[in-house]
Amino acid sequence: MRALAIKILLWGYAAFSMAPLLVMVLSSFRPTSEIFDQPLGRPTGFGNYVKAWTEASFSTYVVNSAVVVVCAVLLGAGVSLLAAYPLGRREFRGRGMFAAYFISGMTLPAHLGVLPLFYLLESMGLVDSLAGLVLVYAAGSVPFNVFVLTAFFRQLPYELDEAASLDGAGPFATFWHVMLPLVRPALATVVVFQFVPIWNDFFYPLVLMRDESKLTLPVGLTHFFGQFQNDWGTLFAGLVMTTIPLVVLFVLATRQIVAGLTAGMNR
Amino acid sequence: MALGMRRGRGSSYLFLIPAFLLYSAFVVYPLFTGLTYSFFSWKGTLRGGFAGVDNYAGLLSGTFLDQLLPALGHNFLLFAGTMLVQNTLGLAFALALSRVRRGKRALQTMFALPYLVNPLVIGYLWTLLLSPAFGPVNAFLKPLGLAMPWLGDPDTALPTVIMITTWQWVGFPMLLFSAALGGIPQEYGEAARTDGAGSWQVFWRITLPLLKPAMATVTILSFIGSMGTFALVYALGGSNGAPAGATDVLGLLFYRTAFASGDVNALGTSSALAVFMFTFIFGSTLLLERVLRRRA
Amino acid sequence: MRLAAAVALAIALTACAPSTTTSAGEGKVTLSVWGWGPEANYDKMFAEYEKLNPGVDVDARSFTTATEYDTILSTGLAGDSGPDLAWLRAGAQLQPLVEAGRLLPLDTKDVPGLASYDEGVLRAAKGDKDGKVYGVPFAVQTLQVIYNKKIFADNGVTPPKTYDEMISSAEKLKAKGIIPFAFGGKDDWMLPIVASIFGTAQWGGDEFLADVKAKRKKFADPRFVEGIEQLGKLKPYFPENAAGVSYTDAQILFSSGKAAMFPGGLWELNFFNENAKDVELGVFTPPSLEGQGLMPGFTDGSYGINVKTRHKAEALKFAAWLASKDYGQLYTDTLRIFSAVPGVTPKDPLLGEVATTFKQHGAAYFMNEFAYGNPSSAAVFSKALQEMLLGRITAKEAAERLDKSVSTWL
Repeated sequence: MRALAIKILLWGYAAFSMAPLLVMVLSSFRPTSEIFDQPLGRPTGFGNYVKAWTEASFSTYVVNSAVVVVCAVLLGAGVSLLAAYPLGRREFRGRGMFAAYFISGMTLPAHLGVLPLFYLLESMGLVDSLAGLVLVYAAGSVPFNVFVLTAFFRQLPYELDEAASLDGAGPFATFWHVMLPLVRPALATVVVFQFVPIWNDFFYPLVLMRDESKLTLPVGLTHFFGQFQNDWGTLFAGLVMTTIPLVVLFVLATRQIVAGLTAGMNR
Repeated sequence: MALGMRRGRGSSYLFLIPAFLLYSAFVVYPLFTGLTYSFFSWKGTLRGGFAGVDNYAGLLSGTFLDQLLPALGHNFLLFAGTMLVQNTLGLAFALALSRVRRGKRALQTMFALPYLVNPLVIGYLWTLLLSPAFGPVNAFLKPLGLAMPWLGDPDTALPTVIMITTWQWVGFPMLLFSAALGGIPQEYGEAARTDGAGSWQVFWRITLPLLKPAMATVTILSFIGSMGTFALVYALGGSNGAPAGATDVLGLLFYRTAFASGDVNALGTSSALAVFMFTFIFGSTLLLERVLRRRA
Repeated sequence: MRLAAAVALAIALTACAPSTTTSAGEGKVTLSVWGWGPEANYDKMFAEYEKLNPGVDVDARSFTTATEYDTILSTGLAGDSGPDLAWLRAGAQLQPLVEAGRLLPLDTKDVPGLASYDEGVLRAAKGDKDGKVYGVPFAVQTLQVIYNKKIFADNGVTPPKTYDEMISSAEKLKAKGIIPFAFGGKDDWMLPIVASIFGTAQWGGDEFLADVKAKRKKFADPRFVEGIEQLGKLKPYFPENAAGVSYTDAQILFSSGKAAMFPGGLWELNFFNENAKDVELGVFTPPSLEGQGLMPGFTDGSYGINVKTRHKAEALKFAAWLASKDYGQLYTDTLRIFSAVPGVTPKDPLLGEVATTFKQHGAAYFMNEFAYGNPSSAAVFSKALQEMLLGRITAKEAAERLDKSVSTWL
């Protein structure tokens, strides 16, 4: 009886969770005029997708976005992983300070630094370059990554280090051979959780990019918002197309994420 | 163990260097420079003379303070709402899911899916769904006599924002709590049950205390998230936090002050506001971290 | 792992290395122009200039999202990667760029066309402190009521001559289940616009604004209060929960034929022509309680020149063309918006009708003249009007808030 109630609750919420997204997907297959006459209705055709794809030159944007996000996430996760290891597991002078230093970046409005950042990148010749964007995103992901990974390292059993040091392994060897295999799932978690906001960000490319051939997907979307403000059908088609890569990634990674979090929260 | 730690001292810094350099150059340096802007008067993007605390005094002027205080209050309400609704639901779902065998992963994925959608898109989507003119939600509720103004009335707007935030984010605490629950050895509960404890007692005495580290993480991230919220409220209520400023928050206020006011000294005033936000949010975060982690 | 990080960085930097940007053809000067409108229209118009000036290539670049445009432009002009020319905002929003010295002041020697501009139009492109002109104004927008001719005809309604007639027509439409005015107050920038459409004549237009600027009168003046109160009085004829209806919702209510009238800017004509092809449009200026109404209008924006431009001579020559009657005519006919260039007669009959009314009964849109301060008085008053529409404050209180905000900078 209780099990049934739980099931109803869970599937009921799942319906609530999915319904808006379903409305979006369904609407993307309907002409705009029909959406306004009747908010819910049957899908009728692919017209919106054709329009969205041809008018928004998504194809260039997709490639740029993929390159930028993959590079930024790898770089950000890599350096954060290195930093989180001593912060979570080792005693050294200034550890608390470093931890606070890394967290502090999460508490400022990111838009605040846009002018100095612009000058900085300009002095490095990185305005209007995807590399500049990668560095900005990778650096921006450091606080969250370090926060989560540090918590994870802290919870790994301490016997591991002892055993490693008894075997005569130095800190790098311990990190490489003992820690790395264990943190892989946690890494998957930060990767996915950083992938999403970077994939979705449009502020930095708008301000830092000039050349249209180097814009990323969300910028294409903002053009799209402007252009099709009242053409909900086409708008939704574009939105569905930009969200699908994330859904695929997420579904593929759920197993890893859950495993990663499980391991991380174990103790 | 002590031996291992001593040996690691110097190398600890080596581990920190790459992240430190990257983060310092592209996050801290620009933000810190942005903060120093608050001590100058500005003519557009041109720095004028040293202004002392004039920009800060500007924050406390009548018309500005009239915006600052309600915005801060809304941030706190959002945090409270997030804790009470989103994180409580997240915990409840995690507990419920721990008893489900079939379809667990599918449920987890469905709960977390809204997180993937661009916040701006979520704004558009929910605005349409809740639109008083065309929205399917009210069309559905009207025959039941339950139609609501949702985002159109100051009294219901903020709770609606909390609902949408929950919809978007509930997967996050759910996954964290699920993971933490998965890490609690079964024997603990079984031992308690053989001692005659009911399931509520097991929950309160065994499960909950063991979830404290996860709760600390969730609370801190929720706090930072609620205080810094921007994209979703912007997409739902515009830069002024419509209706009538009922959904105005610090993030919007900063955005408006910096980019949308057209004021010649916008950079000075907005940087001062950012310093205030930073001091307040960062200080509270450290305090929270200390309190929560100590108990945990 | 250091290796892995190094590899990741290397990949990041090589895969993402900037490709060399191609420069324009041999000996040709490329003038870049930034703006926020639809690019295709500008490519079309600037092609005419390229025909006349074979040595110049005008590259129009559009940034659709309006607020981000200001950030993009101010950072662009501050650095070295800015455009040669750019669209500038009008009035208050222009001042940060002027005071930072990012723009080239223009004079009639280089841009002769400026001499014939109406002073009221040109004021929006001037620096407040130095009084110099920094841009060639490109558009004048007027505010009025747009109506659906078919709905009017079907219900025996004609554009009202008196205030009472407007109310009785609205009653008539409402009784038939048609929303009289498609107006949404959720996007608060619409509120002062609609307030001015119905109220400008009530408070006495430009004369009143001059009195306020000279501090002879306050906004809490009974006539102004009565003017903005129209928003509250017309509430029964707005959509239900008007304060929760967004701007786009309102547009769609009108374009889908669910509403008969749309109080708004002339720029809406383009949108409705595009999205409601079968709807025949008309315009009128709402009569005031005492008689003839006034049509508020404002200068929309201007073309300015980056002070750091490498092609100053070419940019000035282009600006001179932008101030010419040729461009004005091209602009009006291509975009169906009033050009700010004086003496241009629109081909479109509806536009011609508006032009005549504006000439006879025009007034300055009050909010743009009072958009200074941080928070800007426009933002403060928009919010106050929203609260008024929600019934939370009275019109008098809303006007007092505007006074309080204006007193911080006037």
